[in-house]
Amino acid sequence: MNIRRMEKSTWIFIIISLLLFIVPFIVTGRSMQFTIIQIFIFAIFAMSYDILLGFTGIISFGHVMFFGIGAYSTAVIMDRMDATVMSFFVAILIAVFIAVIVSFIVGVLTLRLKSHFYAMLTLALAGLFLVAAEKWRSLTGGNDGFTFRLPEILRDSHNLYMLCLVSLLLFFFGLRRFTKSPFGRVLMAIRENEARTESLGYKVLHYKVIASVVAGVVASIAGVLYALSLRFVNTGVFATDLTIDVLLMTIIGGVGTLVGPILGAGLVEFAHHWLSGLSDVHWIFDRWIILYGTVYILVVIFFPLGIVGTIQSKLTNRPVKGLQDNRKAVGK
Amino acid sequence: MDLIISLTVNGLATGMLIFLLAAGLTLIFGLMSVLNFAHGGLFIWGAYTGVWSFQMTGSFIVGIIVAIITGLLLGLVTERLIIRPVYGNHIQQILITLGFMLVLQEFIKVVFGPDQKAVFPPEILQGSFLVGDIVLIKYRLFIIAVGLLIFIVSSFILKRTRVGLIVRAGVMNKEMVQSLGINIKLVFMLVFMVGAGLAALSGIMHAVYSGVIYAEMGLEFSILAFIVVVIGGMGSFSGSLFAAILVGLAQAFMAYYVPALSLAVNMLLMTVVLIFRPQGLFGKE
Repeated sequence: MNIRRMEKSTWIFIIISLLLFIVPFIVTGRSMQFTIIQIFIFAIFAMSYDILLGFTGIISFGHVMFFGIGAYSTAVIMDRMDATVMSFFVAILIAVFIAVIVSFIVGVLTLRLKSHFYAMLTLALAGLFLVAAEKWRSLTGGNDGFTFRLPEILRDSHNLYMLCLVSLLLFFFGLRRFTKSPFGRVLMAIRENEARTESLGYKVLHYKVIASVVAGVVASIAGVLYALSLRFVNTGVFATDLTIDVLLMTIIGGVGTLVGPILGAGLVEFAHHWLSGLSDVHWIFDRWIILYGTVYILVVIFFPLGIVGTIQSKLTNRPVKGLQDNRKAVGK
Repeated sequence: MDLIISLTVNGLATGMLIFLLAAGLTLIFGLMSVLNFAHGGLFIWGAYTGVWSFQMTGSFIVGIIVAIITGLLLGLVTERLIIRPVYGNHIQQILITLGFMLVLQEFIKVVFGPDQKAVFPPEILQGSFLVGDIVLIKYRLFIIAVGLLIFIVSSFILKRTRVGLIVRAGVMNKEMVQSLGINIKLVFMLVFMVGAGLAALSGIMHAVYSGVIYAEMGLEFSILAFIVVVIGGMGSFSGSLFAAILVGLAQAFMAYYVPALSLAVNMLLMTVVLIFRPQGLFGKE
């Protein structure tokens, strides 16, 4: 029964993915295409966050550091080397390499801490990256950032769309497989009850570190695509606001579902695009974050599973269980 | 020598300001185990309403009183609407208060406009004393005095009075205190309000100190407050005083000697403390 349902959902995802390939032929407006590309990029970023928050149950406030690492690696490499596809691949390799190293070190140093200390420490580390990007002017151009050239083939917004879509699909199906693997099951066990998982003989820290490396690498690739889509980079890619954005996308869409973050990214980016467009009508739309924050608060209180999670639990008749702080229960 | 003394006074003043902010958070976290990321939101609301009424009436005291009242009222609303549904669940507390922080920050822009505002200190606190060759700015001395006063009064209340006894007992065993006929929910609500009031007081004091206020200060100071509380040890009152002064002094000296690092100094301090002593300098295991 379970296998059948899984297959059905896989089919649905494949059909939706195929439909997405047709979209750029229908939606030809540049700004709309750009918005959709941004959605794909943030969907990848949000999925990587979901691996941490939704599947392993850890809150990071510094996830943006990997995004920024990806963006800056691309920008610096494309700026220093020739604008060829080859150097783009070099950029990806370097982005992944740095992300692996940083996420490994950060993970080993910090994942032993309790949830809120971990959150604060990652926040501090991301802050250090931001300061470094501002101060290391010879490399990053400081706060103003810099533009860079792209190879001919990536300059076309159509090709860029396809590249982002293919990456999104690859990561979606890849991470879906990852979370359904025995490894992913252990991560979920850690989320549900860390002490019990440990007493069953799993080395919780190892699993958490690997989860954070996977999330870091995926976020770094999202950063690569982000720099690519803007052909520009500045210190904004290390800003805490981005972490908060991606956190909200994941929560609103549904933690621990992978589809949820994609949906959340879509909703948030569209709302942003559409509501700031309305600011000519009434100034209140400039302050769309109020609406966004209120919706988010209501979601945390009433639908802790997010949109997708709530629908899923309705369909499968499972009891609703939000994000629990299992560490505290263990401590007592 | 003169330089070191004036840097120290600067650092102490900044530290005391940070202490006022962190003291509220320490109360809220240490006593109620609530992770309140909306603390900076209460801080800017104190700053804006305080400055507004200060400029309207021309009296700094009215400004301070209005700020504190705003803080208390907002604290009441926050506790009722935001914190109550998520008592005892840290992850949800982090998530929900962060959202509320954003809402508070945006509402500032709706009510007071999105631009920066300049603030000038009241006449009586403008200018400075000259002791030997050392310039002591009056407002900084005023901040240090207020900070010390708050520290002494709140330590006294917590340690020596019946109210403090109830609060500390409530932290140790909520059910027991409840069964002795004390409305612990009400007590916790009042503690939260006092914490929020302290944040608002810190807001107006800081607004006059820095001379400019803007809405984005909210998130910055939420984070700063947490950094200080983490360094000092969650829930330790003297710990947060110590950590606040440490951060203040580090900022003052770094800004003078190593300006490139001054932005990162808080983060560096917290990183070192968390890695080597995760419970904080004064925290209990």
